Amino acid sequence: MSDALASRSAPIGWMRRTGLAVLGLAVLACVPFGLNDYQQYIANLMLVYVVVAVGFNIVLGYIGQLAFANAAFFGVGAYAAAIAMGRGHLPFLVALALAALAGGCAGALISLPAQRLRAYYLAIATLAFGELLRWTYIHADALTNGSTGLAVPTAYVFAIPLATDRAKYYLFLVLTVLVLWSTANLLASRFGRTLIAVRENEPAAGSVGISPSSAKVFAFVWSGAVVGVAGAMFAVLLDRISPDSFDLSQLLLHFTIVMIGGLGSLVGSVAGAVLLTALPELLRDIPGMEEIAFSVLLILILLFLPGGLAGLIERVVPWLRDRYFLE
Amino acid sequence: MALLEISGLGVVFGGLAALTAVSLQVEAGTVCALIGPNGAGKTTLFNAVSGYVRPSSGAVRMEAQAITGLPPHAVARRGICRTFQNGGVFGSMTVLENVLTGLHQTTPSSVVGTLFGLPRDRAAEREATERARAALAPMGLAPLADRRAKELSFGQQRMVEITRALIARPRLLLLDEPAVGLSAGERDALAIALRALAADGIAVLLVEHVIDLVMAVSDRIFVLNHGELLASGPPAEIRANPAVLEAYLGAT
Repeated sequence: MSDALASRSAPIGWMRRTGLAVLGLAVLACVPFGLNDYQQYIANLMLVYVVVAVGFNIVLGYIGQLAFANAAFFGVGAYAAAIAMGRGHLPFLVALALAALAGGCAGALISLPAQRLRAYYLAIATLAFGELLRWTYIHADALTNGSTGLAVPTAYVFAIPLATDRAKYYLFLVLTVLVLWSTANLLASRFGRTLIAVRENEPAAGSVGISPSSAKVFAFVWSGAVVGVAGAMFAVLLDRISPDSFDLSQLLLHFTIVMIGGLGSLVGSVAGAVLLTALPELLRDIPGMEEIAFSVLLILILLFLPGGLAGLIERVVPWLRDRYFLE
Repeated sequence: MALLEISGLGVVFGGLAALTAVSLQVEAGTVCALIGPNGAGKTTLFNAVSGYVRPSSGAVRMEAQAITGLPPHAVARRGICRTFQNGGVFGSMTVLENVLTGLHQTTPSSVVGTLFGLPRDRAAEREATERARAALAPMGLAPLADRRAKELSFGQQRMVEITRALIARPRLLLLDEPAVGLSAGERDALAIALRALAADGIAVLLVEHVIDLVMAVSDRIFVLNHGELLASGPPAEIRANPAVLEAYLGAT
């Protein structure tokens, strides 16, 4: 028993950790040289969905709220960035900050019903919020250009134009690493423990001076801001956004990524986003079987991998284990 | 001036009186016990004091300040910590992380600093972790530090809960049936720990059915029956009280 415990709790040395991080980043930086244009686009999409999943997991996995406003946060971020760049002619980094801000505000708004509604009731209310926003994108023509969609001008970062998917990749890589690193910092701190305490035992959380209401506001704002950033990345990647990008099928994809990856695991969110973005592309060679193969694989993962991909990763590479799994 | 002062406390659930005009005081540095038959209102009184149930009448004062009707986290921030009858640990957190939540209020890290991993905030987190680790040893929990709380026995979980409450340095500790699920040896250790807390100036109020433990550790005992305070006094007096014997002690 003591051996198993030691291997589970022993962290790897910081030198080895730093070395691995540098090596990993170097590999990721070289990735574009082995990809054609289409593959590059898919790689960029993966990074967008990694950020989406990390943001969604904060609400769904860490504080355990059955809230389905994630596609709404995503859309709010995408539209905020697109409007800021297209109509306001603001530089990309300002648009990105506005997207995070807009997503955070949407999160704050959703945290209000979350104070009162539980489980299924919160799920319904948040679904309705997403649909309401989609209706708004369609009808607020002056800002959103209605159902035709809004063109997103080329993003400039420090006067460097991001015209190609390869250029976008490097921006997205930096953003994704920043989001992952800062979220991991937060989750491993007293703030992360606050979320998990509320998920595990709300009355007991109150007894150590944690206000469940404030914890929910914090989680939703943080989640909304992160997903808002993903929305801005999405807008830049697609060059044009339209209301039907943020419908229920978008939400379903987000939900599947988090569930397959593993609730309450950042490593799982990364794995889920990569797998679920790559899978439809890989299965494209099996015409007619694409959807079936996709569904069967998902069912198999849910049946045989408790804890999702995160559970599998933990078993194979123990030191990659996240601090907090939902079991 | 008593540390905790409850006056005329009443709680009504859907027209049914769970507590009626209960008045009692808990002094700093004493161990007090709340006993009575099942359904007497002991846990309801705990809940009313710690903010989980809104009293319908009366007042609760902590250090002469009214705390009546405050939400649980606000009560906790006034220096009142509690444990729960049916388990209050955070199951998927490790023992160490559970205890760390008790330091949540006093760890001086900021959101922004933590987000960007600034040295000051990292240091605050590290220092809290060291304090939590040090608090495990006296409670016999050191070897279990990195185990998930839900993997532990009921008695061990209880010790985690008490350690978590204590590290927050409460001035009043409310323990709801702390001896349930403990072995005889663990009960003795609990009794010693409770007396040590009182010696440190902390007030302890416990709800407990293990009457030997209550008689052994308490400075003062309050007896509840049908939501009313039936008697209060030092253990010897309670043991000799005929009304108490009839309502409660006689049954054992």
